[in-house]
This record gives sequence, C-alpha cells and structure tokens, in this order.
Amino acid sequence: MPASLINKEEAPREVEESVAPAPEPLLENTIEWSDSLIAHARELFKHRELLWLITQREIKVRYKQSALGVLWAILQPFSLMVVFTVFFSWFARMESDGIPYPLFSYAALLPWIFFSTSLSFAVPSLIVNSHIITKIYFPREIVPLASVLAAFLDFVIAALIFVGMLAFYRVAPTWNIFYVAPLIVIQSAFTVGVCLLLSAFTVLYRDVRHMLPLAIQIWMFVTPILYPASVVPARWRAWYFALNPMAVIIDGYRRAVLQGTPPELKYLALAAVVSCLLVWAGYKYFKHLEREFADIV
Amino acid sequence: MNTVTVDQVSKRYRLSRLGAKSLREEFARWGERLFARQDSRGKEEFYALREVSFEIGRGETVGFIGPNGSGKSTILKLLARIIYPTRGRITVRGSVASLIEVGAGFHPELTGRENIFLYGSIMGMKQADVRAKFDRIVEFAELERFIDTPVKRYSSGMYVRLGFAVAAHINPHVLLVDEVLAVGDAAFQSKCQRRIEELRRHGMTIVFVSHDMAAVERLCSRVFFLSQGEIRAAGEPRAVINEYYKTVVAEKA
Repeated sequence: MPASLINKEEAPREVEESVAPAPEPLLENTIEWSDSLIAHARELFKHRELLWLITQREIKVRYKQSALGVLWAILQPFSLMVVFTVFFSWFARMESDGIPYPLFSYAALLPWIFFSTSLSFAVPSLIVNSHIITKIYFPREIVPLASVLAAFLDFVIAALIFVGMLAFYRVAPTWNIFYVAPLIVIQSAFTVGVCLLLSAFTVLYRDVRHMLPLAIQIWMFVTPILYPASVVPARWRAWYFALNPMAVIIDGYRRAVLQGTPPELKYLALAAVVSCLLVWAGYKYFKHLEREFADIV
Repeated sequence: MNTVTVDQVSKRYRLSRLGAKSLREEFARWGERLFARQDSRGKEEFYALREVSFEIGRGETVGFIGPNGSGKSTILKLLARIIYPTRGRITVRGSVASLIEVGAGFHPELTGRENIFLYGSIMGMKQADVRAKFDRIVEFAELERFIDTPVKRYSSGMYVRLGFAVAAHINPHVLLVDEVLAVGDAAFQSKCQRRIEELRRHGMTIVFVSHDMAAVERLCSRVFFLSQGEIRAAGEPRAVINEYYKTVVAEKA
C-alpha cells in the first residue's frame, strides 16, 4: 500500500513511494497559548469542520434510540405552552397584553429554551468530554460551542411550529419582524459568553453543575415568559431590563413578532454591549484556563 | 532544522489541585491561609519532568524508555499540546498527531462510520481527506461488515483496530506513539508495526514510548532513558537499553 504524505496546511495529496521524504513543513508550530484572541479565533476557524461534526454528534447522540427523535425539539416548548395556557391563562387569568396566550407564551418559550438548553449542555460539557480533552489536542471552546449550536438547531426546528401558529391565529407581521435577526444575534452572543465563562469555571469548581438547574429556574421566573413585562411596576422596569439582558431580548421577540412594535431599543443596545463584553471576557477567561484543563478535569 | 525542540522543560503538578475542587474546599483553604499564614501548596508539589531538553531531527524515530512514572507519557502529552509546560519552551515544526490512546475520541452511540469521520477530524484531518481514505481505513481495521454498527457493540479488539486504522492514515509530520503496539492480536500487532515502519521510511518523524525493548531497538534510531522526570541516558538504542537494564537490576538488588 503506498503511504500518502499529507502536509496538513495544504490540500491533501498523494505521494508516490518514490517521492519520499515529506515536504518541508511550512508552519512553525510553536507550542504556546498566546494571549491574542484573534489568533485563537483563527485557530477555531481552522477547526470549523470539527465544530460542525461535534455539533452533529451532540444531536445524533441526544436523539438516538429515542422513538420520537427530533420531535423532542418541538415537544418541549409545545407541551410547556399547553400547560402554561391551561393553568396561567384559563385558571389564573394571567394578562398577556391582549395576545392569545398560546402565542404569547410560545414566543417567549422558544428563545428561552434555546438559552436554557445551551446552558444545561454547555456548562458541564468539558467534564462530560474529559475523556477526549485528556487525550487529544483541539481548541477546547469547540466543546461548549457545539452544545450552543445544537441547541440553536433545536430552536430553528421548534420555530417552524411557531410559524404555523402565527398563520393559525392570523397574526399579520409588520416590518418590525426584522428585529428578530439582531435579537437572535444578541441572544446567541450572550449565550456563548455565559457558556464559555461557566463551562471553564465548572472545570475548577464542580459546584456550578449543581447550582445550574436552580439558577436556570430562577432566571426563567425573572424573565417575562409566563407574564408580560408590563406587569413589572414602571419604576422598577428600568432596572428589570438593565440587569437581565434575557428580559429585554425575550420581550423584544414578543414586540417584534406579535405586537408589531420595535424592542426597547435603549435596553437592547445595553444588552448588546453586555453580550459583546461577555463574549470577550468569557473567551479570554476560557483560553486562560484552557492550558490547565487536561491537568484538572 | 530540528522538527522538535524541547528546551529546559519542567512539568509540575500540584497534588492538591489534581481532580476537581468544590467551592467549599476552596473557602476552607482561603481561611487556612488567612489565619495560619502559611501556604500549604508548596509541599504538595510533584515534578513529572525536571528541566528536560532534547532535540529531534526530521525523519528521526526516537524512543523513550524508563520505569512507570518516569515522565515518558508526560513528554508525549506535552508534544501533543494536551498539557502545558510549567516552565520551558517546546517548538514543533509541522503538524502533530498522537496515538496516545487510540479510540479516545470515539463515541459509543455512533457507528463505526460516523466515528471514523469524527475521530479523523479531532485528529486534524479534513473531511474530504477522510472520505478519500475511508475504504483503506476500513480495510486496514478489517471491519467491513460492522462499519454501520454502533461502536458500543464492538469488542475491545475491534475498537482498538478502528482507532489505530484512523490514526495510521492521518500522516502528520510528527507522530506520537504511546504503547499502542501492545494491543490487538499478534497478526494485527505486526500489521501496526509494519505500518509504522512504512511511515518512517517515508520520512515521518516518530516519537515512540514503549516497554517493549525489542520494538524500541528495531524501530528507533535514538533512545532516551528517563527516570524520575530526568534524562539519564541518550543515544544509540542498544547502549541505552543496556543502561536501563543495568539500572533496573541495580535497584532490585
């Protein structure tokens, strides 16, 4: 069998038996965890195929040997929406700013579940994948990022049902629906930042893993999902939106899609700044700790 | 030009920091340090490597031998970038692939086919490249019939064969091999050795850790003898292996 020699930096090529030795390596691969985030991001980009494959693995593994498979992505927000409608709307007469409650709650549950699923899979991801991390090198941020990406794909699938619901309730979209795009970008950035920070922190302190389900639950109640943001007393609403970027984002989706009004732009801008800072700080912290992961995990 | 340069590298482990901590332990330790005014960390240090320096030229096959815990695997992990040196500098020119634990990246729920793509990618291969070599990998692993079976149903021998087959087709500039030749049955072992021999002839730089002195002597052009994190002897295989045996016998006596 003719051995083939591949220079990793170039396109793969076969080398005949007679053409040995290998081409001189082009790249000086100095082993250093440099502090430049741009260099890290470039290396991440080089490994984009791996990110995609690990995302696929997350999804495949999650739904393998389950009878309903990918339907679970829809069932989770949908069943919660049904329960919320029965108990909070029919029985408890929760306000919903005049929007049919199923729409009202589903519009919030959809992005919220994207956020909470990302967190619950990404935060322990480095520990769960310790068998790979202690054996093979690759940019470690791929592991939590794949969890976020997998949750995002669930989000997209569950959003298809939402489109059907909009048609069913005859909600006519306005131009403000285009605010959904920046909302998704800001939410994704916020999620990635939190996940990078917490997943690295979890390697050091396993407590985070036990704290997480409680934290997600509390966070859900301080975010306008069951109730409209308008029930928060006006004098507290500024703090409410300023301190919880998820509140602005979730409220923003409702306004843009269901009410046809723009999100609270002032607070959304703040959320965008916070998200950018979180991604920067989270990535920095992650990369700072990364060199110790294999020693500790 | 050297392919691998290791310059004054030390790797320190803090025994107390091995394994995960909880916040409570951490608070307790802060308390201790605040009140007792002593740093309890110093005495719990362990050096897996102490100021080790060596160079490996392109196309060389170098072996590391020594007793368990001498730092052999630490060197491989450092070269593979899995762990980071406490002090010193490591330079590797070109791509590195490690056979440190074959099949480590496998996921039990995925099929052999899915795992070949995933593992190849973890090891730095392009998907198109894996696709091009897919048939050869499967053939090498002798798993044609089971390639669409989840690997959790594989026997341990099948698992290892698949892992080695992928790794043996990566073709990096530097290949790190840790004891993997001790796996599988005799026929597969000799197949692995032939493959490594083939890669070596094609100019690949190979760093090799083993307790199998016969294999070390046959494959390596130069051997390092490690003990307690330091290089005791280096040079021509036979002489270094003899040196190692002499030390072992002396310590036993």
